Amino acid sequence: MIFSTLEHILTHISFSIVSIVITIHLITLLVDEIVRLYDSSEKGMIATFFCITGLLVTRWIYSGHFPLSDLYESLIFLSWSFSIIHIVPYLKKNKNHLSAITTPSVIFTQGFATSGLLTEMHQSAILVPALQSEWLIMHVSMMVLGYAALLCGSLLSVAFLVITFRKDIKMFFKSNHLLNESFSFGEIQYINKRSNVLRNTSCFSARNYYRSQLIQQLDHWSYRVISLGFIFLTIGILSGAVWANEAWGSYWNWDPKETWAFITWAIFAIYLHTRTNKNLQGANSAIMASIGFLIIWICYFGVNLLGIGLHSYGSFTLTSN
Amino acid sequence: MDTLILNLTTQTLKPSQAHLIKSPLFPRNSQIYRLCWKRSLSYAVTCKLKTSQENSKKKNLPNKIVVSEGAPSPSENSGTTENGGVPTKSQRNAAGGLGYLKRLPKRVLSVLSNLPLAIGEMFTISGLMALGTFIDQGEAPDFYFQKYPEDNPVLGFFTWRWVLTLGFDHMYSSPVFLGMLVLLAASLIACTYTTQIPLVKVARRWSFLHSAEAIRKQEFSDTLPRASVQDLGVVLMGAGYEFPLCVFVAATGSFRGSVTVPQGLNFIVGDVLGPSGFLSTPSEAFNTEVHVNRFYMDYYDSGEVRQFHTDLSLLDLNGKEVMRKTISVNDPLRYCGITIYQTDWSFSALQILKDDEGPFNLAMAPLKINGDKKLYGTFLPVGNADSPNIKGMYVSFITNYIISICVRNFPNWIVTVSSLSLSLSLSLSFSFWNYWRWN
Repeated sequence: MIFSTLEHILTHISFSIVSIVITIHLITLLVDEIVRLYDSSEKGMIATFFCITGLLVTRWIYSGHFPLSDLYESLIFLSWSFSIIHIVPYLKKNKNHLSAITTPSVIFTQGFATSGLLTEMHQSAILVPALQSEWLIMHVSMMVLGYAALLCGSLLSVAFLVITFRKDIKMFFKSNHLLNESFSFGEIQYINKRSNVLRNTSCFSARNYYRSQLIQQLDHWSYRVISLGFIFLTIGILSGAVWANEAWGSYWNWDPKETWAFITWAIFAIYLHTRTNKNLQGANSAIMASIGFLIIWICYFGVNLLGIGLHSYGSFTLTSN
Repeated sequence: MDTLILNLTTQTLKPSQAHLIKSPLFPRNSQIYRLCWKRSLSYAVTCKLKTSQENSKKKNLPNKIVVSEGAPSPSENSGTTENGGVPTKSQRNAAGGLGYLKRLPKRVLSVLSNLPLAIGEMFTISGLMALGTFIDQGEAPDFYFQKYPEDNPVLGFFTWRWVLTLGFDHMYSSPVFLGMLVLLAASLIACTYTTQIPLVKVARRWSFLHSAEAIRKQEFSDTLPRASVQDLGVVLMGAGYEFPLCVFVAATGSFRGSVTVPQGLNFIVGDVLGPSGFLSTPSEAFNTEVHVNRFYMDYYDSGEVRQFHTDLSLLDLNGKEVMRKTISVNDPLRYCGITIYQTDWSFSALQILKDDEGPFNLAMAPLKINGDKKLYGTFLPVGNADSPNIKGMYVSFITNYIISICVRNFPNWIVTVSSLSLSLSLSLSFSFWNYWRWN
């Protein structure tokens, strides 16, 4: 009883803190950067992190097994991973744009987990026989961490695409205006339109400079976060294969969930390969990562909705009554 | 051949600035040459030519000319392109067929190690795998005739003909899929040969600091306590290039199968296992007979299933027991490369006594399955078989410890269950890797 109350309180605290943090973010968007507010939002994220950690620990103690046995718990773990991805660069005093991605992600996953859709699952269930293995912690935590990092990275890429694309539109309107200005300036704008801007452009106007800097940073961070997530995903898939060999007698069974995890892996492998090629860098690789975003959701939810294959214990039925 | 005249104004170059020079000679077509400033003070001029109609018949060649320091004269520049182009053409003509054969491996290598090709292969493989999850795998042809009928094709063109000709009913061992995997593996090997090995060769020329002292002297050095080489192995596995090969071997050289056995009966391993690839060859272990001694479940206090157990005996050809083990989920039986694990269970038959009459044997059928909560029903015809209103009896089970028997139309019957037989789905797999490890 005391555990479920504690859990309830922690869920609510974390959810409300994240909402406050988002509000602060919106305020800082409207009003120019206020250092104090920014700092407090960071502190808020740390508080959220501790709340979710507390939630997971409570659940662990209460149920006696690692809290990753069903969809609700994995969603909570996903939001925990988002917050840890947020916190690690912050602790290293690296101001970055991740917070704009992670905070809404946390609120969405928390919101979905605690929403009415999954109320049946809130009671901590008993560990089904299929999950009673030491590999559960390794495999599932790595997979969820990988998903979280890849989702963050691909969202950054989506942001990258949005900003580049918006820039193009604005450029189109601007170009008429710019005809009056110096000839070379127009030329530069033309070059900027081409996808390969990131590397070689440099500052010509302050506005343009900041924008290209932002784009470059977004690209850089999405690359870093995706490579991290890719490593997690690889470890997760490999440990899953080892577990499959122990439980089912072969490393690979072409189970739908496995197959989709492999598709995700392949898509992000393609992303990492496009990054190495100068011609495909930039917008192309960002499009790749955005495709990856959809694929992750299919892998994480879509397969479970069908509830087929050997991973069927992760399935859930949407009951909204 | 169009001559290329570049107007270089190097004296205005500043570090970290890109300059654009527009050639005044071609005012109609927008031609833009970008100049990159490099540390080595050589200027890379990238230009794309798109001049006139007749030139566009040829390929639009993106030329990259590296110009050494100082502004070269336009005539020099055009000279280098001409001199570079002419000899190679004459060589090509002179070399003939033999030279072509000699160059063939190199050409194949360069095609295979092409990055867009590899990306395309990965895309195709992903697409095929995704398709494999949408099409039900390993069904009889009749299933596909019904699901993808010719008169009502999916998406307007996809019929069973596609599925069966391309082997999409067993996607992961179909020639198309395996061919793509082989192609990807070839690309990886070609890339390793053309790119990675030269990189390693270059890297070997670097000088390394061999003593730990020398490394610690460096500014950027750091020490990791309790780190081991295995950690590095995990990190390096991030590349995961061996993965497609492993999948390939696993897909081609293994057997799988599943069987539903009532408790207390036997089956022979070889009857159940079917090859899942063209490299699969049976082994002598396939003559082993499996006897299901008992199947039972453990429960939590709350009534949920904690664990499923099956007591299995393996018998050789003479009927001698070679192995006996109680398997549970996550703890399968392994014998000579064969792995036997439980996948499902169900009720197969029910024996009842009605008012001390009987026993009646009733076959049971699943009504609706939702996870581990199983509901089974059976039908007991009561009364005269010829009369039109046959009374029925339905029996339902939630799990095997909650047995509710509800006899429709005869609420005052006392029915006792005298025995209940369970049947169990076992899946078997055989892989050569496990077989080698066993021996």
